[in-house]
Amino acid sequence: MTTQTPPIVHGEPGDAPATPPPPSARRSRRRGRNLAYWLIAPALVFMVLVHLIPTLGGLALSFKNINTFTFSRLFGAPWNGFHNYNAILFDDANPLHSGFVDAARNTLIYTAATVTGTLAGGLGIALLLARSFPGRRLVRTLMLAPYVVPSFVVATLWGFMWQSDSGIINKVLVDYLHLFHDRPTWLLGHNSLFAIIVPSIWRGIPLAMLIFLAGLETMPRELHEAAAIDGAGPWRRFRYITFPLLRPLIAVQLLFGVIYSAYQFTIPYVMLGSNPGSDADLIMTLIVRQSFSNNLIGFGAAASTLLMFVMLIWVAFWFRAFRRDLEMA
Amino acid sequence: MVGSRRMTNWGLNALTYGILIIMLAPIFWLVASSLQTRGQLASGRYDLLHPTVKAFSEMWSTVDFSKYLTNSIVICGISSVLATAFAASAGYALARLPFRGQKSFSAGVVGTQLVPGSMFLLPVFLGFIWLKQNTPIHLFDTQLGMILIYTAFFTPVAIWFMRYFFLAIPPELEEAAMVDGCTRFGAFWRIVLPSAAPGLAATFVYAFLLAWDELLFVTALTANRAETIPVGIHNFIGNYSEEYAQLMAAGVVSTIPVMLAFFATQRWLVQGLTAGAVKG
Repeated sequence: MTTQTPPIVHGEPGDAPATPPPPSARRSRRRGRNLAYWLIAPALVFMVLVHLIPTLGGLALSFKNINTFTFSRLFGAPWNGFHNYNAILFDDANPLHSGFVDAARNTLIYTAATVTGTLAGGLGIALLLARSFPGRRLVRTLMLAPYVVPSFVVATLWGFMWQSDSGIINKVLVDYLHLFHDRPTWLLGHNSLFAIIVPSIWRGIPLAMLIFLAGLETMPRELHEAAAIDGAGPWRRFRYITFPLLRPLIAVQLLFGVIYSAYQFTIPYVMLGSNPGSDADLIMTLIVRQSFSNNLIGFGAAASTLLMFVMLIWVAFWFRAFRRDLEMA
Repeated sequence: MVGSRRMTNWGLNALTYGILIIMLAPIFWLVASSLQTRGQLASGRYDLLHPTVKAFSEMWSTVDFSKYLTNSIVICGISSVLATAFAASAGYALARLPFRGQKSFSAGVVGTQLVPGSMFLLPVFLGFIWLKQNTPIHLFDTQLGMILIYTAFFTPVAIWFMRYFFLAIPPELEEAAMVDGCTRFGAFWRIVLPSAAPGLAATFVYAFLLAWDELLFVTALTANRAETIPVGIHNFIGNYSEEYAQLMAAGVVSTIPVMLAFFATQRWLVQGLTAGAVKG
């Protein structure tokens, strides 16, 4: 289309020709609405087909007695109410229950540690980079690098670095710094959860740093200057000025960070394999293993629903806890 | 007093550079160890001054890395273009055109992020298998199937990105165009989209970054033909767990494209990434 006076725009059926303008206000509003529906249609179709319908399907599956992978059974499988949920949560003898409590505990620890570490690290670095110092722009750009390394590469790289014998981490800690007498095993047993938390924090810090930096830059200077004149030291200025103003940013990152970490799959799966053991098994790795290796689809669907339910509770709690910050933002 | 302030400043600068070195150390090690031999890595006798690219050439023959790379580029490229296109039109509607159901649509866009992938993975998997058995539509283990999934998958985030970029464009631009006889759609197509070009590029790169890194769905929905790089690396670890030099070389090759794309569009990407949090 290169003409200067556009003819009737395609994609607005049932509309009056676009010329001559101006149409009455009401008609143009209706036209705007029609156009809006055409504009959201493609996205909506895809979201309904891939997100909504399968999600409802997953919900339905969780109430069915289905433990084989056949589509015909999907509709034909008998309903059995909350049987799957009951088995997962309370029935010690049921295969659906095995490993669930461990995975739930590990996911809780992983999520809390990752989100806390990411936000604390991101805030600390942002405060350092908000100052002016030589090479500031370059340092800010370079700090972003870990965020751009894909998760599966992060997991591969750290999996190699954590190796007990040939890993660089033990080489530094044991051979150069002599911090340990024996070489620790990082990828087995009690250390394995720690081994997936550290890279997750490392990869998350740059994004948190960016968001905090953006917040620090919009912060009014006068407040700090006034407080400094009144004799408030740097700690008190941070405590009573900077931190309260950053609270909305912390809130938003908490909301999405918790959801993102609780649904994390790539890093543990690549670093520790499909069966990481009871010390580092997360809900997501357990769901995938039970559904695809053990064909316990009922487990996969019901545990996913439980996980989503917990996240909805978290969102509801979040709205209550941070209502004040939302109004501020 | 002045002296102590200078000391403090100097100390904080040193701390900043120290943290930067720690943050970059793993990336340095990724590149450095990909330029060593397997033996050097296993024995710990590194020779960083004499790098060798042997691991890179070996890696292509150890696993069919070119297959994974091609699949990743095709699947992620096409789905990111589609997601960006859908997001551009939907994001414009959200930013400029009030319509009935707008609130529900926005809530739905955010709501997609609340559902764990495993929840809709099972029905999608069953659906793909059923289509394969009963219809000529082949989505399981095909590039087309993964493109459909990823397009839907990353459209919501892309919508949020695009909405922000449209809100940043002054509405007077379109109004002027419409006074001159453009229709609403004409103004969007000819005036707004070109001014949002950096936003489109940033949205495309962000969707591409996310798709490039997706593992859960591609593991479940491919078997052999349409596998992407993350699956390839996972298979590699399963079969040749001791070939660390080659693994790191594969890691470097997988990181370079997204690194370049990220830093090429960094300015706008950073705006998009921070806007959601800062502006609420």
